[in-house]
Amino acid sequence: MKKILATLAIVLCFAGIAVAQDELSFERKQAIDSLALEKVRDLSKYIKIVGSKDTPYSEANRVIDRAEELFMSDAEIGVSSLHSNQIQYYRVRKYFERLMRLNYDRVEIEWYNIEYVSDLQRQPDGTYVGVITIFQTFRGYDAEGNMVYKDTTKKDITVYVKRKETQIGGRTIGFWDVLLGDMRVKETTNK
Amino acid sequence: MDETELYAMTKQMGQFMRRFNYEEDQFGYKINPKDPSYRNNEMRRKSLPILFDMEKYGSNPELQQYFIEDVTKDDSSYMTFLGGRWYSEVSTTFKYKGKDVQISLMLAVEKEGLGSKWVLTNVYFSEFNKMFPNGEIAEKEKHFLHPMSHELDFMNIYKAFKEPEVIEYYASGDYAPDYLTLFFYEIKKGTLVFQHVDAVKFHVFQIKDWYFEVSWFNRAGNNSGWLMSNIYYMPEKEKADLIKFYEP
Repeated sequence: MKKILATLAIVLCFAGIAVAQDELSFERKQAIDSLALEKVRDLSKYIKIVGSKDTPYSEANRVIDRAEELFMSDAEIGVSSLHSNQIQYYRVRKYFERLMRLNYDRVEIEWYNIEYVSDLQRQPDGTYVGVITIFQTFRGYDAEGNMVYKDTTKKDITVYVKRKETQIGGRTIGFWDVLLGDMRVKETTNK
Repeated sequence: MDETELYAMTKQMGQFMRRFNYEEDQFGYKINPKDPSYRNNEMRRKSLPILFDMEKYGSNPELQQYFIEDVTKDDSSYMTFLGGRWYSEVSTTFKYKGKDVQISLMLAVEKEGLGSKWVLTNVYFSEFNKMFPNGEIAEKEKHFLHPMSHELDFMNIYKAFKEPEVIEYYASGDYAPDYLTLFFYEIKKGTLVFQHVDAVKFHVFQIKDWYFEVSWFNRAGNNSGWLMSNIYYMPEKEKADLIKFYEP
């Protein structure tokens, strides 16, 4: 319910803004950046929940459903490591299911307080495309509590932003629809 | 967690451009174009050094200083996404006749419809280049169809096909092989099969009298991410030939 109210608030907040889309003002770009960041923060939260060994299986599956809803249906996640530049491709559900099944007794997932948002560019059909970069540290522990694996990854997440309209109480309300697209996960040398 | 290194890292090529132009502050926040600090040359002079690969240019600061002084002199030296004259070189691996081969794909941003897209502009594959070597002029001069061949129903044209390795000598003086078409042909025939991307770098010709490459440096410290890896002073008239390699 909270989420619906928040979305409605965003919708109404943008309703007063003129529909002209050709050139987005600096202020409007900032507002769209915030919307996009909200989605990425949701994603970060879901990764943490699904990765945690304390999350029951059914709850993890429910969260994976929510995570899938953040993405375009054809989105892929491309993963590479320091040892191999070759990208492994996963669909969103598969990526989360792998995360859920990682063979550690305990995992820690921390997010750096850095979110870098690119400029939005329009693709030929007029949809705006941007990329948000975030960083994550992952630690895996064995049964004795020893850290057996650690990496820091850079995640570059595609963000699609489209102007849409909806009818609320007979009025046409414009809003910005934000969906996540392909995500590139690259291991960094930062430890 | 120490986040300093990640703040310092030039995380996206777009950030490289924004830092280059001083369109964002040191914390990565976008500057309002109405703000006096936006694209401020004084600020650019201070922030540009972080965009150089310091392992290469740290010990040779003269070129770096000369570059910074030059690009902060006037308004012509900003980078723009849709400004053209910047290319991406994507190093890839393909399967060719059962073996892994390296192919470099050149791409450029092209405006289309309501926005833009990356398009393939050229390709470098050593097998293609071997097929069209720069032959010696003396050798080239031996291969031609004399100007009265038409009167003989081109009975001599068989000579052109006797030596397939130099068939191009019989083409016009303006002829240049179109490697992208060869590449598409091999892909369509199924002879070349894409495997994976190995690396990406950028070639930037937008800045007046300069050409530089931007490469990804995945390393610890405060000088990482997308950085200038090679810089050349190059007067505008000298750029045309090199640009042809990326966009014939």
